[in-house]
This record gives sequence, structure tokens and C-alpha cells, in this order.
Amino acid sequence: MNISKSVTKKDHPRKMNGEAKYVSDYPTDGVLCGRLLHSARARARIMNVQIPALPEGYLVVDKNDVPGENLVHIVMDDTPVYADQTVEYIGDPILMVVGPDENEVKRILSEIRVEYEDLTPVFDVRDPAAEIFFDYHYGKGDVESAFAQADKIYTEQFRTGRQEQAYLEPQGMIGEPHDGRITVHGSMQCPYYIYGAVARAMGFEASRVQIRQDTTGGGFGGKEAYPSILACQVAVAAYKAGKPVRVIFDRREDMEFTSKRHPSLSTYKVAVKDGRVTAMDIDVTFDGGAYTTLSAVVLQRGIICASGIYKVDNLKVHGRAVKTNTVPSGAFRGFGAPQTFFAVEMMMDHIAKDLRIDALAFKQAHIVRQGDATSTGGKYHFPVPIPEMIEEVDRASNFREKKKKYQMQTGRYRRGIGMSMVFHGAGFTGSGERDHIKAVVKLHKYPDSTVEILASNSDIGQGLKTTFSKIVAQELNIPMERVIIHNPDTDRVPDSGPTVASRSLMTVGELLRRASIDLLAGWVDGEDQIVEEHFKEPDFVIPFYLDKFQGDAYPTYAWSVSAIEVEVDTFTGLSNILGAWGSFDVGTPIDMNIVVGQMEGGFMQGIGYASIEQIDADSKGRIRNNSFSDYIIPTSMDVPDMHVIMHVEKYPLGPYGAKGAGEIPLVGAPGAYLEAMEQALEVNLNHIPFSAEDTMKVLREEAKR
Amino acid sequence: MNTITFTLNGKAETYDGPSGTRLLDVLRDNFKLLGVKCGCNEGECGACSVIIDGKLANSCMVAMGSVHGSTVVTIEGYAVTERYAVLDKAYADVSAVQCGYCIPGMVLASECVLARNPHPTEEEIRDGISGNLCRCTGYNAIVHAITSAAEEGKGLW
Amino acid sequence: MVNGYFPQSLKEALELRAMYDAVPYGGGTDLMINADPDANYLFLNKVPELKQIAEDSQYIRIGASCTFTELMDHPLTPAILKEAVSQIAAPAIRNFGTVGGNIGNGSAKADSALIFFVTDSVVHLMSSKGERLLPIKEFYVGRKQLALAPDELITELLIPKTALCSYYYKKVGARKAQAISRVCFAGLMDIADGKIIKCSTAFGAVSEVVLRLDDIDSMLAGKTIEEAKILKPAYLKAFEQAIVPITGRISAEYRKDVCMNLLKDFLDTSGI
Repeated sequence: MNISKSVTKKDHPRKMNGEAKYVSDYPTDGVLCGRLLHSARARARIMNVQIPALPEGYLVVDKNDVPGENLVHIVMDDTPVYADQTVEYIGDPILMVVGPDENEVKRILSEIRVEYEDLTPVFDVRDPAAEIFFDYHYGKGDVESAFAQADKIYTEQFRTGRQEQAYLEPQGMIGEPHDGRITVHGSMQCPYYIYGAVARAMGFEASRVQIRQDTTGGGFGGKEAYPSILACQVAVAAYKAGKPVRVIFDRREDMEFTSKRHPSLSTYKVAVKDGRVTAMDIDVTFDGGAYTTLSAVVLQRGIICASGIYKVDNLKVHGRAVKTNTVPSGAFRGFGAPQTFFAVEMMMDHIAKDLRIDALAFKQAHIVRQGDATSTGGKYHFPVPIPEMIEEVDRASNFREKKKKYQMQTGRYRRGIGMSMVFHGAGFTGSGERDHIKAVVKLHKYPDSTVEILASNSDIGQGLKTTFSKIVAQELNIPMERVIIHNPDTDRVPDSGPTVASRSLMTVGELLRRASIDLLAGWVDGEDQIVEEHFKEPDFVIPFYLDKFQGDAYPTYAWSVSAIEVEVDTFTGLSNILGAWGSFDVGTPIDMNIVVGQMEGGFMQGIGYASIEQIDADSKGRIRNNSFSDYIIPTSMDVPDMHVIMHVEKYPLGPYGAKGAGEIPLVGAPGAYLEAMEQALEVNLNHIPFSAEDTMKVLREEAKR
Repeated sequence: MNTITFTLNGKAETYDGPSGTRLLDVLRDNFKLLGVKCGCNEGECGACSVIIDGKLANSCMVAMGSVHGSTVVTIEGYAVTERYAVLDKAYADVSAVQCGYCIPGMVLASECVLARNPHPTEEEIRDGISGNLCRCTGYNAIVHAITSAAEEGKGLW
Repeated sequence: MVNGYFPQSLKEALELRAMYDAVPYGGGTDLMINADPDANYLFLNKVPELKQIAEDSQYIRIGASCTFTELMDHPLTPAILKEAVSQIAAPAIRNFGTVGGNIGNGSAKADSALIFFVTDSVVHLMSSKGERLLPIKEFYVGRKQLALAPDELITELLIPKTALCSYYYKKVGARKAQAISRVCFAGLMDIADGKIIKCSTAFGAVSEVVLRLDDIDSMLAGKTIEEAKILKPAYLKAFEQAIVPITGRISAEYRKDVCMNLLKDFLDTSGI
């Protein structure tokens, strides 16, 4: 059977008819309502907290109630469960009020008085007082010599903004103490991350903790780490109350206080000799927000991608993640790569313009090939299909023709078309998969010959329940209906790792495929059987050393070429997206509809990131546009029918040739959008989001000249 | 007045609480119709969509008093209809359901698009679902699903 | 007993309005944001007299409880009003949002208010003691301040039939649907026999109230097209000076640029 042939998704019926149960749909009888008190200051010492008299059945939970360690383990351990001595951003949770009636809980919350002693906050990553969370360097070749011999050196700075994941289902958790254990269930991507964090916060042996994923209404990275914090808070509260406690964020709370994409500032210095790029000296700064959380890993990926898909033999990269007293930045589809890919694509575009070379031709001359070294001295072990994908997108969009046509435009409406080409490293950066995750999956065959998949990866809309089942059904040659998969429950599933880094299908899917083969080999009718499969790093991978950033950062790459055509209304500054085309290589699509759906969704998020999605802290560190009316994401009228082409280069070590798919579609959109805007406005641009106001500013300058 | 009376999913129902209570909360808390979701509390996302007197509504923006004498349909009531079956298949065929949180609202919005115009253009479909935010799909598959439902459901709308 | 008031007729609605302190409820689409569940509402959404759209010798009469969708679907609705309300928010909001509520909100961003301003519409206010007709400009007295007495209800919006001529409308928001206006502009140009009978403009979302500068607009009244072309620079300059947009998250400069661009385009497309 052709694995790519689309099937009806397993979770389709109950999501369609409203029966699917999300965390906020669980019965509330006997469950206490919890609401957090968030810091009103960006940086302050907590001097005193005045709690009003509490009615019977109502309680306040804070750092003093944390039975274990008052920290949430997210890579490092600086995030508190409840604020300790200081608060570090507007939104930092200080305490939780818990009780039977939500309105009463809100009333008590509104009467709590916190006495703050203001400390000086830092909001700008360039502030000399800013603390540096992480500082990485790497490079290769001889950058100094290349710069000395260059015909011309180009220097430019690029900026990218914060972006909110805006999953439709807000964050929520329910904690239930029972029989000496604590069970927490809710909206999440990584049950085992939460498991470890809750065990530490509670001071429990891991066996006393149970974490269950509920049907999750979108994550995109926003539910990778943040749920660990909420889960610890809820677990502590439920344990203190001796009763179940539920916390469901409302939209404004979620938008204002939970993790978002790292804003970035990059400076690119590029040496060009004889019309070719000979060296790049890149400096990247990510705004990590108030706590470290995932910044180390986001920064690593961002700087590894800094030279893009181009062959740059002399490379120097410096990256820093800086603390600011704003919402801690975290994971969002792309995870550092969208920021640097945007910068390098624009840089190449600007250099080409200056050299009066067609930008596409200029980029094409620099594309890496199979066998070339990566930025970190690893190797592109597999084919690089970018050249063919460029032609696919050109055929679909008439890119070259339009690029020539949209010149010297006068008149009210001006058009432009842009193209960008990117990769996304599939899986965890470096040896994380081998050394930290050590994924394990199980298959449980029941006597009635149904087979249950036991893995900790969560279906957050990307269709894992269906694709995982397809793989097992295919290998065992049984109908999909006989493959069982539930939302992961740490009591029942082994740790197959988190649902992040575009790793689920490629890595865990492959483990399931191998497990299925083992099960089939040892299959005994009527018997209850369990097989287990453990991750093994592929032999060809050149070991990656994080201290030097040397080796294969990723075993393989997903590739994409995106093109976007815009029409700008010079009277209003508004842009209309006339077309969006993308060719994507994620290896074999395990289900065509599901994979295309992922491409379309990611592409739309990338378009929003480049254009209308703006979310920033004001001069006091406050995020003001914390609602769907002020944080503008695309509606059905803001995106065209996106044209997706699946280009298949099978990855031999992925199931049926599949490789990481989830993140790639977003990464290329910003460069394509801004290149299109540059053509329409006939000016070089260097930041996203690029809004109608920004367009108007450019037009105003043009009118003056 | 003694009580608010309305028809809910075809059945006569009453409500005695404050008339300013949100319809969304009454549907979820009193009637346990959990397919009606809360996404934003501001009438911006459409996850709470229901159909009142044949018109798409954001139930978070509706006070109970305003539905006195009205007909309310939620996804639970709609999911037993023939039209739903057509939409169900159309959405399934293109895997338009990803995380699912927008879907009950989106399905009711789809119904309202087709009820207003059984053969809508792409632009009319996009306008008809413009109040239902989706973060997962990019809207492509949903628009295709509604288009094929219009073709398949000949005579139903 | 449920709280709130459920009038079956306009007469009853006015009596209840005079007697009780209750918030008039049109469609709820503004009121229900952060609303107190215990609030007392005067439910006007089903009062039959408030849902009429009619025509008399002078006006198109629009009932205050008419929803935006009803306006879009009604043959008597002036084209400019249809165009404006069809771009409000999204279908679910249009299905329940009413003109009475839109005006009653007192916001300069109200999309239908812009149209009532540019057409020099009249607000029909009634109370149990009487009624009055107030030009819309006099109804909006300041930022979110209306000349509405506590016992009055907005019952109709009256659009002068003389305003039903060629029009220009543009709403500029942050995206194509569900967008609060950043700038909205409406223009009416009534030309007959090469002469401008009347030119009307209005700008929304730039000021505390809708900007209707008919003293500048009247510069063009009675002029031929050629005369108007000569006056054009002075006309534009007068607006350039008069429009001082508020600064919010969107810069005043942006708003100003867009206003002037749309105004110029209005004149250009009118042949001036």
C-alpha cells in the first residue's frame, strides 16, 4: 500500500461533532477553581503580600507550599514554580487563589495587595546592564583573510519581532491528588517533560506522578515548556487543597503571560570577491525574556542556520541570548531558524541587488550540494533538492517572469514577488536524541490481535494518532481500526521523547516501524505480547560537540522553496497577498492530506509572522495587545489558496523515507514575503513584521525624494 | 417575566437565571453542551459559534435574555442532520480537522454559508468563515471542504 | 423571575426605559465584552417597530434594532451603507450587531456612524414623554459622549434621500476581516449638469468623533468641475490642516497619510 495515500483521520469524528474532550471540558463538580496572581511589575522585589480574609474553602498557594524544590526544570532550573524573592517580568506568577466558586476566586484575587520594591528593569537587549544567558561562538575557515581580500564588504542589521503562537485552545491543567500520588492532565506537547518537572517540584519519586495529555487544541511550541510551569503550580495547589484543582487560562492571560517567539537582532558582515560570497561574520542576539527556559536550544539552532543554505567556507558566528524583563521567550515552530533564515535571505538579496545580479541567480550560485560541509563542519549526507524545487515553484508561480515584469511601477497598486530557500534540521540539535531523550516505544498486542501504540508523543493537531497508526498498520498488515492509540499517559507509555523539533514522525515513527517488524516476527495468535524499541543514532552521523559546535548538528534536513506575490495599495499601505507557493521536501509524506495540511498551516503562520502579527512590550514591559482583536492573525480572507508542492527525497533512515516535517513550512515565508515587498516598494527592507505603517513610512520617504 | 423560554437543539427549554448570563456559559454549564468552545471571550475567534434563529452567532456575545423566544442550535444538535453528514464527509476527505478546537464553530459557519448560498464562490466561502479563526490549517482544506460539500449536497441546501 | 426587561412594543420599551435603570441591548456584540452577568438589560432586539426599514418622501428610515445583515439584505438600504456594514467584523457579529448599538456605543470607529455622518443623517430619539430629531453631528458631543437623555432611546436613523448619489467608501483596518478601523473614509459627490450640487466627506477612527467638516466641503458646492479643480489645492490644504489624528498604537502620521490619500482619490475619481 502506498503509505502516502490519505486516510480518514482517527480523531476526525469526535472533533467534528464536538465530542472530543479538551481539558476545559472535564466535569467541574468537586473540582476547585484556581487563578494565578501575576506580577504587575517587570522587575521588583516582593516586600509583602497582603491577603484578605479567606472564606471557608478558599486558600492561597505560594512558594511556601512547594513541597519539593521551588523550581521548574526546563533545561535549566531558574524558573520558579511561584515567585521567590523577586519578580522578573509582568506576568511572573506570585501565587494562586483556589476555591469552589470562580467569581469568588476572582474577587479575592482582586483584593490581594502586593508591595513591590521596584528594581531597574532591562528591556533592550543592547542595554549594557543586560544579563547574558548564553554566549556561543563557532566558525570555520579564515574569515579575516577573506575579508582582507574582499572586493566589497556588506554590513547590515536585521530585526525580527516577537510572535504569539495563538493556539485556539488556551492553556489549562487539572491536578488531582489521590492515593499518595498526584495526577496532572491537560493541554500539552510533552508529558514526560512535565512528569520530571512535577516530580521535582513535589519532591516525589517519579512513580508518584502521573501526567496525561488531554486532546490538545494546538501547540506550535507554545505548549512545549510552559505547561511544565502551570502543571507544577497546579500540582502544588491540588496537593495543598487535598482536592482537584483546575486552572484554565483565559485568552488575555494566555496571550500576555505565556512564552512567545524570541525577538532577534542580527548583524551580517559579508565579504564578496569576484561576484561570490567568500565569508560571513554573523552576530546574532535573541531576546530570551526573564528566564532561560529554552533559550539555549533556540539560540543553538538559530546560529547553526545563520549562513542559510549557502556554501560559506569562511564563517564566523557569534550568538547570544540576553535576559530582558519581559515574558520568557520559548519554542515556536522553527525554533530560532526563522529569525536567521530571514536575515540571510534578505542579506543575499541585498548583495545581489548591489552587484546588479538577479537575486535568484545569485543565490543559486551559492547553494550547497550533497557532500558539502555544513556550517558546523558536518556534512550534507543526502541530496539537496533546492535547484529542482526552484524550478517547481517558478513553474507554478511564474516567478521569473513576474520578477522581470514588476519594475518601475507607478500608480496606486504595486506588485512584487519574492522567493526564499531554506532548510530545517530534522530532529533535535546535536546529540540530544542520543544522550538525553533516549526514546523508547512499545507496542502492546492484545489476545484479540488489536495492537496498541505506547509512545509519549502527543497529537496536537498534526495527525500523529493517524500517521503513527498508519505505520504500524502497514508493517503488520492489519487494518487501521485494529491499531489503538490513546492520548499519552505516563502511567502507561514509555518516554519516547517530546513532540518537538520535527522529530515525531521521523524518529519515533521509525521506532514504531521497527517495533512492528519485531512484533510481526514474533507474533503469536491469541497471546498478549509487548515489544519495545530503543533509539539508536544512525551510523553515518558525524558526532556533534556542542562546546565547539562541530559535527552533524542534524542527521538530515527538510528543504523548502517558497514564493509569495503581493500587491501593495500605496494609498493605505495595506498589502494583498495574491499568491503563495511552496515546494517542500519532507521525505515521504506519511499521509498526503495531513502533510499538506501541515505545510499550509505553517506557511500561513510564517506569512502572519512577516506581516500583520505584532506583539511587543511597552516602555514598562507590558504587553498591551493581548487579545485576538489587537493581536492580528490571518483570517480566511487574509491568505490566498496556498499552492503546496511536495517534493520527495526519501530519507533512508526515516519510516518509508519520511523526515522532519512540522516546522519547515514556516521558515521560508518571511524572506519570500519581504522580498516581494521590497520589489513593490523598490527599497531594501530589513525587519519583520513589516506592517502597513512601515509601508506608509517608506512611501512617505519616497514622496519626499 | 417568569422564565426565559427558547428552543435548544429542537427541544423546548427554560432558563431562570440572570438574563445577562452569557449563552456560552449556559450551554456549557447548565446544558453540558461542551462542543461549544471558549477561545477568546470577545467574539473574535468563533470557537463558540452557535446558530440562533438560523443565523450564525458568537454565543459568548449573547445574553440569555436576547434568546427568549428564539431557536438555538449547537454542534450537538446539528451533528444529527443530513447536511452535517455531507460536511462530515467533505471535511474528512481533505483532512480539514487538525487540532479540532475551531471545528464545531467552523462546521456551523459552513452550514450558514451554504444555507445563505448553496453554490458559493471561494470569496463568499472565505467571507462566510472569516469570523472563525483557525491557526492550524491555513484555511485551504476548510475552503475546499465547503466547496465539495456544496457540490455533493445537491438539493440539501 | 428573571431580571431584565422584555418589551413587546416600542411604547412598552419607552415606558420601561423611563422607569428603570437598564442598559439598552441591541445585539450584544459590544455590550457583552466583559459584561457583568447580573446587569439589567432592556432587550430591544425583537421590538417590531425598531426593526423596520422604510422610505418616506424625505428619508430612508432605518430602525435602530436592524442588524447589519438585515441592512445588507434589504433593497431600501442605500448602497454606501450596505458597503460599509458588509465590512464590519465578521458574519456572526453582523447578524446581531445593530445600528442603534453601533451609534449608541459613541465610538468614532463605528463603521455605520461614518455613513450617517457623511449623509448628514438624523437621529430619531424617543422617550415616553415625546420625541425629537437630532442631526447626527449634534448627537455626538465628545469622545464616547452622546446627547442621549437617560429616558431616551434611539429608535431610527433617518438618511436624507438627497444623499443617495455617487459615493466613495474605504475602510482601512489591520486585516481584511474582523478589523477595527484604523481609518475609514466616506465621500459623496452629487454632480448634475457639470456642476457640483453637494460634496460631503467624513473621516472615522482618526479623531474622538467622526470628522465631518462640511464648512470645508461647502467650498465646492455650486461650482463647476473646472472651478472645483482650481479650488482643489486649497480644499486639500484646508483638510491637511484640519485633520489632526489621535495617536494610539497606530501613529498619527499613518492615519493622516491615509486620510489625505483617500480624500485625493475621492476627488480624482469624481473627475476633479
